[in-house]
Amino acid sequence: MTNSRLPEQGSAGGANRRPPPPPPGRSFDWREAMAPSLISIVSIVVVFGALAWLITSAEQWPRIKLQFFSVDAMVAAFPRVLQGFWINMRIWLIVLACILVLGIALAVIRSLRAPWFAPFRLMVILYIDLFRGLPVLLLVLLFGFGIPALNLPGMPSSSLFWGSVAMVLSYSAYVCEIYRSGIDAVHEGQWAAAKSLGLTEWQTMIYAILPQAVRNVLPAMMNIVVALQKDVALLSIIGVRDAVREAQIYTASTFNYSSLIVAAGLFLLATIPMARLADYITHRDRVRRLQIGG
Amino acid sequence: MPERTAFRRASIVLFTLLMTVLSQAFAEERTTMDPRLVTPGKLTVGTGDPVYPPWMLNNDPAAGEGFENGLVYELASEMGFDATDVVWIGQTFDQAIAPGSKPYDFAIQQISVTEARKEIVSFSQVYFQPEKAVIALPGSPVEDATSYADLRNARWGATLGTTDNDYLVNILGITEASIYNEQVDVFQAMRAGQIDGTLTSLPTALFVTAVQVPEASIVALLPPDENDLGHGLLFEYNNPLVGWVDNALTAIIDRGVVEDLKAQYLIADPDLPIITQ
Repeated sequence: MTNSRLPEQGSAGGANRRPPPPPPGRSFDWREAMAPSLISIVSIVVVFGALAWLITSAEQWPRIKLQFFSVDAMVAAFPRVLQGFWINMRIWLIVLACILVLGIALAVIRSLRAPWFAPFRLMVILYIDLFRGLPVLLLVLLFGFGIPALNLPGMPSSSLFWGSVAMVLSYSAYVCEIYRSGIDAVHEGQWAAAKSLGLTEWQTMIYAILPQAVRNVLPAMMNIVVALQKDVALLSIIGVRDAVREAQIYTASTFNYSSLIVAAGLFLLATIPMARLADYITHRDRVRRLQIGG
Repeated sequence: MPERTAFRRASIVLFTLLMTVLSQAFAEERTTMDPRLVTPGKLTVGTGDPVYPPWMLNNDPAAGEGFENGLVYELASEMGFDATDVVWIGQTFDQAIAPGSKPYDFAIQQISVTEARKEIVSFSQVYFQPEKAVIALPGSPVEDATSYADLRNARWGATLGTTDNDYLVNILGITEASIYNEQVDVFQAMRAGQIDGTLTSLPTALFVTAVQVPEASIVALLPPDENDLGHGLLFEYNNPLVGWVDNALTAIIDRGVVEDLKAQYLIADPDLPIITQ
């Protein structure tokens, strides 16, 4: 083996000394490059074609098609579902902003180490145990129907408001724990270094620890952001006319489920870019950590 | 030729066999042993779970007390079934409208017949056309309403799966009603001050205001929506039993059975105000 290789290496070295030859026939290269994509395309067509044939040859398919994929019904349902989805988006953004702020505040309180913070730390632990331990659905029902029924003076009775409050309380418990894991992941030496510079505990947290902690948890946080976007649909049970509820209303009225497909499409349209963004942030984070490419 | 006679004999035997099988099958159609029934010998009927008065009393369809189960037992006896041969299957509204084969011969669940729904499932003829009633708590702005315009100014709620929301949209022009999963949620929202009023069929309204939410009351009646054809029995799409059941239904409607059941279970107070425009 080695014997037969050596002359080859020698000839390669010889080629290097000569001026580089013009690139040989590119058409051949193209074909070579195309082969894998061609194979992918053919296999995709075969596999999905077989699946499509299997599904559409089912005896019930024409009925299913009429009930789930009726274009007329989709067109008829679209305006209301889109209107509902706009409500989803607005609730999502407002609730998300509140969750990120409340979550970080709770995480900071829980991570401060001075002894006189003990009662506040305890309160945060109780808060997390309570709100992370209850299903969001239950919280939405209790807050959306329960609190307004108390008729507290000066309090809004809107189910939208109280449902959103329930979402914020529940999700900020999760988010607080994510932030805290990020804070815990910052090396102990950072605390010591900040202290040696004369920073107080509060300043250490704000200027030294938190910026690193937030960067640590960005990928995990993206997950929560996507999950929240879909969970906003839970508010439909307390009468908020979001995309899912609008789709259900159409279904209930006509027995046609195509409106649900419209809602599913809108959700995907919003969550898939989010997923790609999450991938990108994770990738960038990995590059930064492993210092790939400097 | 022995072969030919053998062949002829065999074909005659086969033919008679085929005829007996066929004639038996046809003879059994429209009898209690009809092979097209989900379980031949039984009449399998789907309904809500739980069921509510006055449609069915005491959450017990098999007891036969109530408008709808009373109707089913009359229908069953018209079709030749004993009362003990009626089998009830509880299901949610979503299960009732889900695609695919259904585990019952027909369902009865105050399901309104509409043209759009007929494309997905099959219906019997309409056996009852309820009026719509407005329900509100004392002090609600709909209490003093005298016109559709007054009603439009209020905040509305309705239950998913009913045609009540269609009524709000098509007749009253109210497009932003809050829609809840269950009727109990509608009244919870009403107590919480999130909605001013709701709309249900009159029999349901009578029961709700008498038993479930006594502090609420019927404040007005509304005329029927002509797009809502009324309640019908729901069948799987193109179920071959529709014709048979429809004939039986016609027979008991003609005998006045449905009118009697209405009088027994679904009577309204004649003094309620009616809003027509």
